[in-house]
Amino acid sequence: MPLQRRKFLQVAAAVPAAPALLAQQSAPAPPAPSAADVQTLATTTPDAAACTTVPGFFTDPQLAALRRLCDLLLPSVNGLPGALDAKVPEFLDFLIGVSPAPRQQLYRQGLDLLNAISSERFAKLFVALDPSQTDQILGPLRAPWTYDPPSDPLANFLREAKADIRTATESSRERADSAPSGGRRPRGIGLYWLPIDPLV
Amino acid sequence: MAETKYDVVIVGSGASGGMAAYVLARKGIKCLMLDAGPAPDLTRDRTLKAVYDLPYRGFRKPGILPHVLQANAFNSNVWADETQNPYTYDGDDQFNWVRVRLVGGKSLFWARMSFRLSDYEFKARDHDGYGENWPISYSDLAPYYDKVEPIFRVAGRKEGWKQLPDGVFLEDNSPDSVCVQQFKTAANQAGIPVTKMRRATGQGMLASSFNLLLPDALASGNLTLVSNAVAREVTVDKNTGLANGVNFIDRHSRREIHASGRAVVLGASCLESTRLLLNSGLANSSGALGHYLFDQFYITRTVDAIMPAACGGKANRHLIGGGGYCPRFRNLDTKAKNFIRGYALDFGSGGTPDPAVIPEYGAALESKLDYYRGAGFSVTTMGEVLPRFENFVTIDRNTSDAWGIPALHFSARYSDNEFNMAADAVSTLNEVCHNAGFEVLAKHDKMFPPGYSIHELGTCRMGDDPKTSVLNKWNQSHDVKNLFVVDGSSFVTGGSQNPTMTILSLSMRASEYLAESLRKGDL
Repeated sequence: MPLQRRKFLQVAAAVPAAPALLAQQSAPAPPAPSAADVQTLATTTPDAAACTTVPGFFTDPQLAALRRLCDLLLPSVNGLPGALDAKVPEFLDFLIGVSPAPRQQLYRQGLDLLNAISSERFAKLFVALDPSQTDQILGPLRAPWTYDPPSDPLANFLREAKADIRTATESSRERADSAPSGGRRPRGIGLYWLPIDPLV
Repeated sequence: MAETKYDVVIVGSGASGGMAAYVLARKGIKCLMLDAGPAPDLTRDRTLKAVYDLPYRGFRKPGILPHVLQANAFNSNVWADETQNPYTYDGDDQFNWVRVRLVGGKSLFWARMSFRLSDYEFKARDHDGYGENWPISYSDLAPYYDKVEPIFRVAGRKEGWKQLPDGVFLEDNSPDSVCVQQFKTAANQAGIPVTKMRRATGQGMLASSFNLLLPDALASGNLTLVSNAVAREVTVDKNTGLANGVNFIDRHSRREIHASGRAVVLGASCLESTRLLLNSGLANSSGALGHYLFDQFYITRTVDAIMPAACGGKANRHLIGGGGYCPRFRNLDTKAKNFIRGYALDFGSGGTPDPAVIPEYGAALESKLDYYRGAGFSVTTMGEVLPRFENFVTIDRNTSDAWGIPALHFSARYSDNEFNMAADAVSTLNEVCHNAGFEVLAKHDKMFPPGYSIHELGTCRMGDDPKTSVLNKWNQSHDVKNLFVVDGSSFVTGGSQNPTMTILSLSMRASEYLAESLRKGDL
């Protein structure tokens, strides 16, 4: 990125100087540049520009519970960015907001359950619980794994959230930037297939 | 311009259609190939991208491709769009029909696992009394396997096993890690053979009709390849009853066009070929067309284990890594108590266990994952599914694709034979892993819905009796003599071996027969 930007600035800086140089040499005007000579402009993605997703799907209490859950399930460990560092709550707010209705229901119900159970047992929302209290509520995550999803709605939500929070964290720019590449390619790089001759 | 009459119209450009073109065009036979999708440009259509720059950051676009469990954030654009290519199934009996509509088809993306069938499959009825034998035996197809394997550069290790015949291999004599040796010893003690994976290496690990078959066919000057051509119907001469071409629809303009040929070869993939025949009202005097649908059931991560000696940062290449394959070992010389046929195992080592199976969260989970890193061992079970008349496809007259072509309806489910086989696999693997000194973290016997393996087979099966089969032993329609179906739909049984090498060999054999029939004027 910095190299591309520098290159673009060099190109931009060179343009005003060119007419003056030509005037000194009194040479005939060169042919007009073709379209192929136009430089590709350096652009970037919103995330790379450190922009922040604006949450819009979950309610404030749900989002607060999700933030706490993210921090509990995948905290920053050994210098690796955790789920909050990777802005996972905001990303999941977007992802779940554009997901099919059953997945939206799973998350909304699950986050509401976290708050409802917290209120019932400790008279506080999930976000305000201390670690020993949250540990009691997250007990289903210590149950032995079964292939079939748990029948209990909270246990089922926690299992899904555990997987999603991990995927979103491990796929984040923050994680990629924090870890040295162990292979031939930088971490998080893959072969992406573009749409091929789509119907119009 | 006058319509050109080709010698052969081939529908489909994947493994089977590609092989037909490879054989026929190089013998001087003028071929027209139709493929429903565009031709990918492997330099233009693929690019390296960071997962965090993808629209859904490692998740695939929500709501799309609900039946393609193989789709991910990087490859979502290669699978056939289910909104343009719908299908239906009975109630909750889900069938995952996974399709690729590109020139080269699924051969662009297959796992390249390359095995031969044996007479345990070709003559399965003789062995256990169930179903039908193929009209050919292993010895009929062996010479074609011999020719196909060098084209696809199959690597493997020769073992001399009857249930998994050796091939013409690039010999794989690489050493096994300690972990693999431990598993092999324990498996052998349980009567389970273990070998290296047999895999097509192709060119640059691409082993596709796209790079191994179609270029030579085109170079012959005898193949005309039309992309974006969605076949709708095989057409028939009313006077002779013979096929005289294919009606297809231009994918973009939706204009309907006729391609004319002296013979028609369908290699559109198992169920697309059958759908085309059902929509054409052809080749079904037996009533068997669409029936005897089967695949191979898959149980991924049947066992998720770790090798304790490799935990805590001790994993290294000598100790752990690599994988292997266990061919069918049940119901060969002895009888299992509650199922017939058998299953194969594909195992790998050296990864990290799936965090989902570790009952922890937070820092405790991260600590365990660090401890287990590189010490993982997991196995996938691939089981034979019985070909049963009750499992079938038909045309859903109420559902059509984006080109107005009626869609398929599936009626298929697994039976107790498959479920009992799956239970046997998990209990056997659990015991073998323990005996190998591994710690089993999780195990299960839950198979994916039918279709997941992308090994759908049958529905247009071959046989000697025209009353019970659609094709004869040359993949030739009993009813329409100049119509051939050369893909997996012709299978009578499938075993537990990945079917691509057999599809390629059958297509080569049928195409050589067709070429000779054309030369002699028999058609």
